[in-house]
Amino acid sequence: MTVLRLVLGALGRAALVVWVTATVVFFALRGGGRDPLEAILGGPGSQAGPEAVEAARTEYGLDNPVVVQYLDQLRRVATLDLGTSFSRRVPVADLLRDAFPSTVVLAATSLVLAWALALVVALVAVGARGPVGRAVAGVLRGLEVVATVTPHFWLGAVLIAVVAAGLGWLPATSTPGQPAGLVLPSITLAVPLAGFLGQLMRDGLEEAGTAPFTTSARARGASPARVFTHHTLRHASLPVLALSGWAVGSLLSGAVVVELLFGRPGLGRLLVDATLVGDVPVVIGAVVLVALLYVVVVTVTDLLERVLDPRLRRPRAGVATPDDASAEPVALS
Amino acid sequence: MRGTARRLGVPGGVAAAVVALMLLAVVAPGVLAPGDPTAIDPAGAMQAPGWGVWFGTDESGRDVWTRVVHGASSSLGVGLAATAIGTGLALVLGFAAGLGPRWLDVGVARVVEVLYALPTMVLALLLVAVQGPGVAASVLAVGLATAPGYARILRARARTVAGSGYVAAARLEGRSGAWVLRRHVLPNSLWPLVAVVTLGIGQAVVWVAALSFIGLGAKPPSSEWGAMLNAGRLYLTTSWWLTVCPGLVITATAAALTVLGRRLGRVAS
Amino acid sequence: MRRPAPVIALSALALVLSACSGSTGGDGEGSGSSDPSGSAQAGGTLVYATGDAEPTCLDPHVGGNYPQALISTQYLEPLVGRDADGTITPWLATGWTVSEDGLTWDFTLAEGRTFTDGTPVDAAAVKANVEHLQDPDTGSSTGYLAVGKVSEVEVVDATTARFHLSAPDAALLESLSQQWTAIQSPAGIERGQDANCAAPIGTGPFVVEAWTPQQQVDLVRNEDYVRPDGTAEPAALEGITWRFLPDAATRYAALGSGQVNVIDNPQPDSIVASEGTDITHIDAPRPGSSNRIELNTAQAPFDDVAVREAFIRSANPEPGIETLFAGVTAPSYSPLASVEPTAYSDESLFGYDLDEAEALLDGAGWTERDADGYRTRDGERLTVRFPVSTNQSVAAEQSLFEQIQANTRQAGFEVVLEPMDLSAWYTALGENAYEAVSAPYTKVGPDVLRVLYHSDSTVPAPSGYFANHAQVKDPALDALLDAASASQDEAERADLYAQAQAIVLEGFYILPLYDQQNHFLTRGVEGVETLGTVSTPTFVDAALTQS
Repeated sequence: MTVLRLVLGALGRAALVVWVTATVVFFALRGGGRDPLEAILGGPGSQAGPEAVEAARTEYGLDNPVVVQYLDQLRRVATLDLGTSFSRRVPVADLLRDAFPSTVVLAATSLVLAWALALVVALVAVGARGPVGRAVAGVLRGLEVVATVTPHFWLGAVLIAVVAAGLGWLPATSTPGQPAGLVLPSITLAVPLAGFLGQLMRDGLEEAGTAPFTTSARARGASPARVFTHHTLRHASLPVLALSGWAVGSLLSGAVVVELLFGRPGLGRLLVDATLVGDVPVVIGAVVLVALLYVVVVTVTDLLERVLDPRLRRPRAGVATPDDASAEPVALS
Repeated sequence: MRGTARRLGVPGGVAAAVVALMLLAVVAPGVLAPGDPTAIDPAGAMQAPGWGVWFGTDESGRDVWTRVVHGASSSLGVGLAATAIGTGLALVLGFAAGLGPRWLDVGVARVVEVLYALPTMVLALLLVAVQGPGVAASVLAVGLATAPGYARILRARARTVAGSGYVAAARLEGRSGAWVLRRHVLPNSLWPLVAVVTLGIGQAVVWVAALSFIGLGAKPPSSEWGAMLNAGRLYLTTSWWLTVCPGLVITATAAALTVLGRRLGRVAS
Repeated sequence: MRRPAPVIALSALALVLSACSGSTGGDGEGSGSSDPSGSAQAGGTLVYATGDAEPTCLDPHVGGNYPQALISTQYLEPLVGRDADGTITPWLATGWTVSEDGLTWDFTLAEGRTFTDGTPVDAAAVKANVEHLQDPDTGSSTGYLAVGKVSEVEVVDATTARFHLSAPDAALLESLSQQWTAIQSPAGIERGQDANCAAPIGTGPFVVEAWTPQQQVDLVRNEDYVRPDGTAEPAALEGITWRFLPDAATRYAALGSGQVNVIDNPQPDSIVASEGTDITHIDAPRPGSSNRIELNTAQAPFDDVAVREAFIRSANPEPGIETLFAGVTAPSYSPLASVEPTAYSDESLFGYDLDEAEALLDGAGWTERDADGYRTRDGERLTVRFPVSTNQSVAAEQSLFEQIQANTRQAGFEVVLEPMDLSAWYTALGENAYEAVSAPYTKVGPDVLRVLYHSDSTVPAPSGYFANHAQVKDPALDALLDAASASQDEAERADLYAQAQAIVLEGFYILPLYDQQNHFLTRGVEGVETLGTVSTPTFVDAALTQS
């Protein structure tokens, strides 16, 4: 029953996300200063001949009433008929398929790295004792804020200048299938996210360390290690886990910059290239794909949350988990 | 008042001083840096920081300190505008979900989810692709993308406060819903938001800078901090001050706002 | 509670470390040696990293921009070549003759040469190529203009292709020496645009093997390569990895750390920093036009020559060029590149004179100043919209524009620099929403003047693009350019072009800046040459150096 619920939930979510995305795109296209046809074909510099213009006009039904056009757009997105890239003359779906794996590898590596970094920093900050420890914890807290506002393009440039060009330890560029090239882009993507997650994780650990359930577990004679892994860590990781969907979105945002900087192929770079030449079909396709990826991540996270948090094995209500009132973190973009 | 100052502590005091300095730079940049931020001097390009040129000069010989100070209003403006869009939307969504009927809560949850599904840069590039480039697209995108996070906090707080004993007591005393909202729900829900919103301002500056990196950001010769950071990045190995100085200012601003936000939140509760 | 912390910390560290250790030697695709004294060796794959936009089609007939010319130099060859002095040399065509009236050209092709798919390089192939360029479905801009006066190609026999012209075209050979009119296999063209864009088939020293979008194009050696002089001798390299690396700083770092052997579009400060290291600098300015700012004469305020002169007199780009470009280029005072033998300069027109500029503006009626210090006339501010394509102007150039903005402000101009993407930039030009613009345009030889300043070029092509951004419409200038184009006499041509350039300069239509910059940095490789046409590098004689 739970599985069925989950599947239905995921499908409903996907449908909604895709619907809103398609709607946003539809109205953005028409509300803008650019003629939708021009935008689809890439502006007056597109070299589109009269036949191409006519073909696009027919394909996108731009002579039809707006309502019909809107329903058409929904149908196209729903059937994943994403059209053809005007600049590359290949189906948008093919471009997305080629770019997707490289970005997923980068985002996944960065996510794991960000979690690990955040956890280490949070543990040190919470566990620190004595004046030296407190000083270290203070410095770490400061570093978290600094990391959170560090731009990817700057951090990446520093890493390239120091680690790649200066020390020669790692390559300055990144190609799929070459693990060494993944290191610097992953660090670049992970650090700002880790700064943010670290603050959450620290709050969670501090709170869980004094929470009744840890005290009672200790009273029951559980070893400190068991209390830590089974209660404290579990509790502290929940808000971070709940943010995975957002975190992946944030990583995809960063991937736009990082892929450009390290010359790595991927979804972000495809999106930028398409934006720069005004290849709207590709931009729309990439946005829809990103939205679907979010749905997948959220569904998986949901599943994990249920495994980790016994209270969630009952049906949920609303957006929030029962205990998120105080510990609920805010997700910035 | 004195009590408040004491409870701010030393870090809070320092943060307050930094924020005051920032505000001064916004209101009267000429006081801190009397020069012209766009005055060029090719012969004096790329000077390292020193006496009189506190932050050095850039590739056109412009004084970096003067540019940073005069760029405060546009940089903080970008951050504030984006955050205002985010919080404005969040207030509506968060309170509707937190205080409204169940179906509204569920509905808002779905809207929030959709907003989460469109990351900042993806949204920004979509807006640029269909509307043309500019700072407005990035500000709007950052605002929209930050809204769901704020909305979730507000909803949770509003729920907690609305379910608390003193609200129940107030309702028993016959107070109106509006009175309760104004007197209890708003103050108790908004303070937790302050700390994250202040951090959000710093992040918004950084995201708008990312659009400059792609070449779609602020118009020259604007000395918006993110744009300065990006322009200086190309001279990273030879002229470090071009990125380090504006970078430090962004960081200091974000850190000061965060610390101040947290302290104020603690003082208020 | 504390004990597990170090364990987790350690395992996270181990994760990072193992990722690091997997890296040593992992970047083996670049075989560049850091030892400059290493000797050349046969074989190996050269890695080229380009900062130009990734082409959307590898066939330079389609569209026709510089990135396509760069890469297609490796696998497509033109009918004729051009050496550094501007002399036309035989390539696929071993010889040519022109009729008395200049309307008929006979090209003789070498016998027995084939494209890499086995199709013979014959007159029918040349005919198919010209028809491909002229076919509207191809969507050619640059090549289309180059063969604009060719009405028909007649196949006289297998090795003789006869070009019939609608009007004499003295620039025909120069036009045909460009990469955008390079000859490719008709069988390849027959496959349709999609297939041909992915892997055009030519006669060059390398062959397109695979194209991984956003990442690289893999080129392998053409084992049967025949050089222009007829000798069969393949390239020394086994192949080229052509990588797309948009960030200039990353490109330079990749060169320094041995991942790549050649980079293009380096920043001026990188060029200076590489002096005295094992990095070699190749300076190959593009031919044709100089890099300049064009002033839109079709509307106010630049319809008034006095305002144009005031802008140019107050711009003062020289000190900026000196510092921003760190001595890698010199200021230009000519519409043509310094490498063009027919270039005509007049430095006296471009001296910085703020007082003169102010006097000119006063005389033109821009007498009032508003609260921001900008000049106004009838309440209208003296505004210059300047759209800047961030794909086409390097960082140093954008900084220079900011300096010009600051300098002209002294005279009362409000220059609005608008950084934008390429499609928005085209839109701005198409809508006449600009007063100043800097557009790259490359064509071999002085005939580029006709493309850029002839009144015909103000009429948009079917693609919507027009090259005469200054919108110069001067019958005297048109007559000179037409006469130069029709003349068969070199000395007469040079004289006509000099007169035409004088008109362009004295009309203050443009502010010349410097040659169109084209620099390459190489490391761990020798024998890299650039062609005398549009200065693209060829690797036919390149060899990696290994210690």
